[in-house]
Amino acid sequence: MLIELKDVNKTYNNGQPLHVLKGIDLSIDKGEFVSIMGASGSGKSTLLNILGILDNYDTGEYYIDGRLIKGLSEKQAADYRNRLIGFIFQSFNIIGFKTAVENVELPLFYQGVSRSKRHEMAMEYLDRLGLADWATHYPNEMSGGQKQRVAIARALITKPKIILADEPTGALDSKTSEEVMQLLGRLNREEGVTIIVVTHESGVANCTDKIVHIKDGLIGRIEDNRMHRASVFGADTIMK
Amino acid sequence: MRDIFTEIWESVRRNKLRTSLTGFAVSWGIFMLIVLLGAGNGLQNAFFKGGDQFASNTMMIGGGYTSKAYDGLKEGRRISIDDKDVKLIEGDAFATNVEQVIATVSTGETASYGKKSTSLTLEGNYPERQQMEKIELVAGRYINSKDIAAKRKVVVLPQNTAEALLPAFSQAQDLLGRHIKIGQFSYLVVGITKSDRMMGNNMAAAPFSTIKTIYNKGEDLDDITFTFHGLKTEKANEEFEEQLRAAVNLRHRAAPDDKRAIWIWNRFSQNLQMNKVGAIINVALWIIGLFTLLGGIVGVSNIMLITVKERTHEFGIRKAIGAKPWDITKLILAESVTITAVFGYIGMFLGMLTCRLLDKTLGQSTVSIMDDQIAMLVNPSVGLDVAIEATIVLIVAGSIAGLFPARKAARVRPIEALRAE
Repeated sequence: MLIELKDVNKTYNNGQPLHVLKGIDLSIDKGEFVSIMGASGSGKSTLLNILGILDNYDTGEYYIDGRLIKGLSEKQAADYRNRLIGFIFQSFNIIGFKTAVENVELPLFYQGVSRSKRHEMAMEYLDRLGLADWATHYPNEMSGGQKQRVAIARALITKPKIILADEPTGALDSKTSEEVMQLLGRLNREEGVTIIVVTHESGVANCTDKIVHIKDGLIGRIEDNRMHRASVFGADTIMK
Repeated sequence: MRDIFTEIWESVRRNKLRTSLTGFAVSWGIFMLIVLLGAGNGLQNAFFKGGDQFASNTMMIGGGYTSKAYDGLKEGRRISIDDKDVKLIEGDAFATNVEQVIATVSTGETASYGKKSTSLTLEGNYPERQQMEKIELVAGRYINSKDIAAKRKVVVLPQNTAEALLPAFSQAQDLLGRHIKIGQFSYLVVGITKSDRMMGNNMAAAPFSTIKTIYNKGEDLDDITFTFHGLKTEKANEEFEEQLRAAVNLRHRAAPDDKRAIWIWNRFSQNLQMNKVGAIINVALWIIGLFTLLGGIVGVSNIMLITVKERTHEFGIRKAIGAKPWDITKLILAESVTITAVFGYIGMFLGMLTCRLLDKTLGQSTVSIMDDQIAMLVNPSVGLDVAIEATIVLIVAGSIAGLFPARKAARVRPIEALRAE
């Protein structure tokens, strides 16, 4: 198993204690294309933060590729995030004053890769996502779909074990949303990248092979969706 | 390295006005520091110029009045230095330190040339004095050994005295080779020395033997000057002075610790003290300069805090994709140091330019005090050492300015920063 969560609990102590994750058990294998679905307040964002080593959990165990992720120093956590995980965010989170190619290079910069090498790699990834011509453009000159593709290139460049996508289509129109989901699907099929999408949109979830429902801090149903028929409405498109 | 400067440039470029306004405060601080130190050096050069004029390893002793009763004699007795004191100082007791001993006799006289006259102190001197007091000649020569041997009636006049004897607007050199009258006798002017602006007195030098004979001074001397070696510290000098005082006092039947019986003027320890005063002035100027700079530093710290606040989201992104806390700290520290250093160097450059300007203007002007021209500033400038020290100050200051903002930046938590805005 690539990802294994065993009885993961998380409580927020902001005034009133809030038990957000109440014992999550979840396994995701290498090469899977999974979505985690839940309503707002279900704990899916917290789960994503823990999966992404952006937040820590109270009890339980979390393994990535057999490595226990617990009680890491900030430095170590940063290193794991950099090498193991690629993030795709709803609001793209690409840096506004850097060009597309500079944004894509950034994770490699933190790995200490030389300038020419990382530039070469970033151009290669932008090219694969059809953005070679946009390399020297700034984010404010690009469309939402293009920005998200820059973010995807940035997530892929370190060849991470997992891609974590947090509502990747949340800020896109339905056509672009579909393109992005198809792109993720293709990356999964053709290159075997493990992708976890967190969403509340059934149409988006329907694009994935497995849907994990989360409700009130517990894993509910796990749907096999290899036929992509989970959502009646989302059979052909993503509803907005 | 280049990556970090690219990052800094990107950040500064987005905040040009803010950065330059704050940078101005830093420039101003360093500018003040450099100008203050430069002007301070200029003042010290002007005031202590006299100190450089003498060979620093000379001591002069002269007679005084006893302040203590001793050996059956009352206090308030006049002590005059004489030839036997020269023998004593030259003798075995002080042989390890004393080098050359010379004496002077002097008398107040009126000199006249044609219709003009002036008062002067006529000093009977040895040729060695020129070396010891670094007397600078404008023209002619100083007393030489032949003058001494032949008891020649020759005189070396200071420039201002020579000018006083000549019609207005003539050169002091014109008096060279002429005979002037001093007291009852006629003397040949053989040399003109630079006027001693610090002392401000009219010391004319004639051969020791001549004056001694003419004024029938007997064994009595005005003062004894000698060069010495091997006394490096203030303490060693004090001890030597005490021994010397005791020996000379005892010879004149005065209490060995009577500090008024004879006076000792030690140029070496005086120089040490002058250097100390100079160092204190320097420290004071540094403090004033650094406090001025402090305003700039606070400014830099302030804009760095604003920068960190503005870039919280960006730092969150960076941390999410793998930036370690130190990567972020480094970014802010480097930016702070760079801003401080760049603007600091601008200030330093302008400060040095201003010192040059001071040299060209105030440095050339003199103030007239009691008929003497005194330079206000002599060579007001700072050396390479100050430039290096200021560089260190800038780097340290920049680091301090960036420290708190950088720590704040490093503590940014990615989930909070990335929470959808």
